[in-house]
Amino acid sequence: MKDKVSPECKSDELNFFDLSPSDKCLVEKTIQGGFSRRDVLKLMMVTGVSLVTAQNLLFTGQQALAAMPKKGGSVRMAANLHGPDDQLDPPRFTSTIDYVRGRAVYNSLVQHNNDLTTRGELAETIEPNADASEWTLKLRKGVVFHDGTPFTADDVIYSMNRHMGDDSTSVVKSVLASIQEWKKVNSHEVKCVLNTSNSDLPTLLGLYQTKIVKNGTTGDGIGTGPFVLDSFEPGVKSVHSRNENYWREGANLDLIEITAITDPVARVNALIAGDVQLINQVAPSAFRQIEEADNVTLLSTPAAVQLGICVLKNAEPGMNDDFVKGLQYIQDRERVVKRILKGKGTVANDTPISIAHGPDFCSELPQREFDPDKAKFHFEKSGYSSAELYVAPVASGIEEVCLLAQANCAKIGFDLQLKKVPTDGYWGAVWMREPINVVTWNMRPTAQSQMAIQFGPGAEWNDTYWNNERMGVLLQAVLSEIDPAKRHEMMCEMQTLIHNGSGMVIPAFTNINDGIAANIMGMPTVPLGALGALEWPEFIWLS
Amino acid sequence: MMLQMTLRRIWVGVATMFVVSVIVFIMTSILPGDVAQIVLGQSATPETLAALRAELGLDMPAYLRYLEWLGDMLTGDLGTSKAGGAAISDLIGGRFGNTMVLAGLVAGISIPISILLGLWAAMHPGSWLDRTVTFGTLATISVPEFFVATLMVLILAVNLQWLPSTALLRDEMTFFELLGGLAMPIITLVIVVSAQMIRMTRAGILNVMNSPYIEMAILKGIPRGRIILRHALFNAIGPIVNVIALNLAYLVSGVVIVETIFSYPGLAKLMIDGVQTRDLPLVQACAMIFCGAYVILILIADIGSIVSNPRLRHPK
Repeated sequence: MKDKVSPECKSDELNFFDLSPSDKCLVEKTIQGGFSRRDVLKLMMVTGVSLVTAQNLLFTGQQALAAMPKKGGSVRMAANLHGPDDQLDPPRFTSTIDYVRGRAVYNSLVQHNNDLTTRGELAETIEPNADASEWTLKLRKGVVFHDGTPFTADDVIYSMNRHMGDDSTSVVKSVLASIQEWKKVNSHEVKCVLNTSNSDLPTLLGLYQTKIVKNGTTGDGIGTGPFVLDSFEPGVKSVHSRNENYWREGANLDLIEITAITDPVARVNALIAGDVQLINQVAPSAFRQIEEADNVTLLSTPAAVQLGICVLKNAEPGMNDDFVKGLQYIQDRERVVKRILKGKGTVANDTPISIAHGPDFCSELPQREFDPDKAKFHFEKSGYSSAELYVAPVASGIEEVCLLAQANCAKIGFDLQLKKVPTDGYWGAVWMREPINVVTWNMRPTAQSQMAIQFGPGAEWNDTYWNNERMGVLLQAVLSEIDPAKRHEMMCEMQTLIHNGSGMVIPAFTNINDGIAANIMGMPTVPLGALGALEWPEFIWLS
Repeated sequence: MMLQMTLRRIWVGVATMFVVSVIVFIMTSILPGDVAQIVLGQSATPETLAALRAELGLDMPAYLRYLEWLGDMLTGDLGTSKAGGAAISDLIGGRFGNTMVLAGLVAGISIPISILLGLWAAMHPGSWLDRTVTFGTLATISVPEFFVATLMVLILAVNLQWLPSTALLRDEMTFFELLGGLAMPIITLVIVVSAQMIRMTRAGILNVMNSPYIEMAILKGIPRGRIILRHALFNAIGPIVNVIALNLAYLVSGVVIVETIFSYPGLAKLMIDGVQTRDLPLVQACAMIFCGAYVILILIADIGSIVSNPRLRHPK
């Protein structure tokens, strides 16, 4: 599951993973062939390898053998939510269970790695022009759909065009708005023309919704993916068996079943009882139960999943900067992470960017601390002595964050009233409407897209209605900046702008917490969503 | 007379279903947000909302949408789910079977047990058995079913590992595998529904036992068992079958908590999902099934009590 290279290996030493495939094979065969350790070492030293290197080779080689994927077996995943609206049509994917089914039966053009870099999936290469406004994608040859139809550029053009145009109902339409046109060059090459420079285009082509379906179909489950759809009942389950004609090495599991157990306690019980092998959304109250059971593992992936309070800047009381400052200073961030999230989270600084975004995170920005005196000062200056916060359990821990803020506000004489509303209908009726509400955002693959989607002037989901011109200029400029130092400077300036000016109060980021059976190996940990952003079907195996 | 009553009741039943469909339609429409908003959720934008509403025909006025649904319904077409696009008959088909299997198994176990225990308790009022039954049923009535269910899972599935924690069924299961897979929901529901039926049986019979004709029978020296089975039971059967009918209707429409905890795909959960996604045709279809189940079961109960009671059979 973890990185298999031992930490003791120094980087300049040759180890097993640096060998060419034929040498790897030799070392493996030698180890398996019953030679004693001494024999192998002798053999290697005779052939001119130093003792340290030889030992190292042997050690990492043995580890690699232990980690060799095993074929066979089946798993059942239970997601947190399903219903009659379950989909196999990628542009309308909205929930974890849709995403995992999509990952099993379809492929994307581009795939995310654990460290948020990308690699080509159905696109073999993806090359920008000089200013990154036009991208050329060479498509993989010899790929076939589950029904035997060969995969070509037409499928790509058709699938991607479904996210564009007036009658498109795609969930990611506005995320992909920078794409102007898809052009077919030949049967295995397409061009993507943008209406602006965007060096982050590849990450957008790896979204859950940008899966490639067969030309002319609307999600009947026939894709090019690692699993073939055997049966699908919305709100009940789907069953998938391994695609034996897959273009890559292919999945290890024979069969996967995807269902949901909506009750959080029942979901954890089913995992521990062994009825299911993968679950998402483990609540903090169940951490101990999972950690104490020896047949299951808690998979806690640090990610920039915000627990946020939106204060609308275009309405009372958010128009008043001091009010927002007061609410930001009253957040006891350390306590939120330690007590509410049980340590499975990180302190946030009222910006949507976390250390999980890598070098784009602005560590220079001073951390806003819990400071009741300052909060009191700002609240008094704002002239408000009470406010109403709309809370729905949209993320695990968000209600507790609000309750903690309420208690701390009471101590300084500020009356923060919590108005509890149901999650049902929340996004249409409360979010972006009521002056103070709660929000959660899944982590986006790049810092730029994360900030653009939520803080770009006039962006569809600018959920605090904070419009800052400088922010808009920087969001655009950073996409064509190639000098890392200058890029970081811009990233920092944007995070500082949000930290000081926007209406967002973000006390903490929560980890993505999932539970898996302990015998699952090779689990991906892409931090963009539950269970390694659902990349697991193709890659895991059972030990 | 009997036929006349039955026909009248069926007519009233159909009228009830019509009224229910109007009420359900209005209530679901009043809820904040429509199906387009719920489906697109946090990622809705004004353009995609408008496009999806047009695609689903939500831009029509509400009364037209209702009439369209009614027309389709009367011709036997349940329509397609607005949220997911699947045919509603497909969504309901398998789940209807699941619900009936579970309700049938639970009824098959709980009704005989309840009537026997109720009778026994009534035959020996004040005995230790009567006290145990009275106390036990009171306890299980007052404990919410999610508590019973979770406790069962904790004991039988997580600690003892005798039974699966969820009722995840496969197609190729034999009857006994099915019984094993369904054991947990069956146990939970039997506990929940039996209590009420036992108490009703006991109370109904004891109530009749106070009447003068029973006193007469006792004075004539008829054994207590015979009095209860031959003379009291048939007079008490009216309220008992009504309680049984209500419990059966509950098993068809109201076991949403048990379905959720054991992840059993049944109709009650489907209706809740429909309401949550504002999927009107789906909600309406479920409402019609539930309403129909109540109408039919209560009708059967009434017929049953009339048939068993000569005084109702031959009214003055």
